[in-house]
Amino acid sequence: MRRAFTTLVFLLPVLVLFGVFRFVPMAGMLGLSLTDYRLGGDWRFTGTANYADLFQDAVFLNSLATTLGYVALCVPLTVAVALGTALLLNAARWGRRLFRAALLAPYVTSLVLAGVVWRWIFGPLLDSPAFVLPALAVVGVWKGFGYATVILLAGVQTVPADCVDAARVDGASAWQRLRHIRLPLLRPALLFVVAVETIGAFQVFDTVYVMTNGGPMRASYTLAYAIYDYGFTHLTYGRAAAAGVVLWAVILLVSLVQHRALERKP
Amino acid sequence: MTRQRLLTALLAVITLAAVSPFVLMLVIALSPSDEPTLPHGLPGSLTLRNLTEVFTTSGLPRWLVNTSVYAAVSVVVVLLSASMAAYVFARKRFPGRDALLWSLVATLMVPVHTVVMPSLLLIALMGWVDTYWGLIVPTLANAQAVLLLRQFIRALPDEVFDAVRIDGAGDWRTYWHVVLPMCRPVLATLAVFVFLWHWNDFLWPLVAARSGSMYTLTVGLSAVSAEHLGLPEVMSVAAVTALPCLLVFALLRRHLFSDLAR
Repeated sequence: MRRAFTTLVFLLPVLVLFGVFRFVPMAGMLGLSLTDYRLGGDWRFTGTANYADLFQDAVFLNSLATTLGYVALCVPLTVAVALGTALLLNAARWGRRLFRAALLAPYVTSLVLAGVVWRWIFGPLLDSPAFVLPALAVVGVWKGFGYATVILLAGVQTVPADCVDAARVDGASAWQRLRHIRLPLLRPALLFVVAVETIGAFQVFDTVYVMTNGGPMRASYTLAYAIYDYGFTHLTYGRAAAAGVVLWAVILLVSLVQHRALERKP
Repeated sequence: MTRQRLLTALLAVITLAAVSPFVLMLVIALSPSDEPTLPHGLPGSLTLRNLTEVFTTSGLPRWLVNTSVYAAVSVVVVLLSASMAAYVFARKRFPGRDALLWSLVATLMVPVHTVVMPSLLLIALMGWVDTYWGLIVPTLANAQAVLLLRQFIRALPDEVFDAVRIDGAGDWRTYWHVVLPMCRPVLATLAVFVFLWHWNDFLWPLVAARSGSMYTLTVGLSAVSAEHLGLPEVMSVAAVTALPCLLVFALLRRHLFSDLAR
């Protein structure tokens, strides 16, 4: 009895923190998404009306497309740059530690700072609806590729050197060695990096908030920014909650599809 | 040999791309106001005037204190609460243990951004808006920390736990004198990550703080960058935001990705 009590006491801080500040807000979000709750307190149950509204709203549909566009730009670029950098680092004979440390500087500093500095670097380019999303993606790549490089480098280093050497002796070209030996052995690391980068890219907010406020002409009005806008600018909490559930569902769906696609044996 | 040179040159270009925004930030922050600065040219001399200026005229000192409190308290509470739970998850049997652990881990699937609004309504009910409580407490549920520590404690040798039990040590003594010391490397890694995460956190402090005196550095930086302050002043605030992170990273690099750092 006493031991059971001690176990409970050990668990208590985590149980309270998760119960009150994770599970209650999650349940609250699902509940709110079924109401027309706004600031002021007066509300009624509206069923799935928020969702129906969202999917008929051109602005919301546009924000879905914008988010997908951002993810489609940012994730492949990040992974490609990181993979190239990891292979270069692996082949370099000196300076590996120094380079790797320097590459992580963007990763350990804040996205707000990235937004402030890059807004200055891009300048008027951010006023162009055509360039704003690629510009934001560049910041995303700059911020995230160091971390992806470190993970992929660790993966590259686990590929046995004799494997690669044997293939070279057998006359495999550098491309063939990469395509048929390195990449298949890197699969777990790649899967991890793609998953992490995708989940992060779907939630892009800080740089949008600092650099563009969703503009110009909503060309960078991403889902996470839309949720913020509904909830904290317009104070339409029910609608913000429904948009949050949609983002949650989209991330879950994309993660599952990715997992299936990348897990499949070649 | 030429191949190695090409490799190094390529890596140098990539590294330059990674660090040059920091260099630009510093150059602008240190430029005297009466001299031309980027992009019109390089200043002839550097000065700390802008830095001292933002320390005396903006809310920067207060934001620095708030961010330090936010990050430090979070590191201590997350490490203590997560290691306590991880110990019983790894070393005790009780009904519903695995279901409970995986329900905590499942919260990782829910993007933090989506629960910010309901969390804010919750702390509004508690009267915590614009207080340290509201800023800090809702961010302390950290499933990664629980999971990582649980895996580590599970992999510790059983003999150690058998020995302390035979010596008659209870759970508290085992936790404090055996588990915590043996977890030191993984606790150090976690401490760095939790520190960086809270120091750089933006959306939650943005909505949990109302008044300028409750801002964190990231919120303050976004506020001054949207306001009337001049570019050198904004870049000075940015530099103050970045420096502690870069310093912690440079000093504790070994503990970050410690299993990867060869």
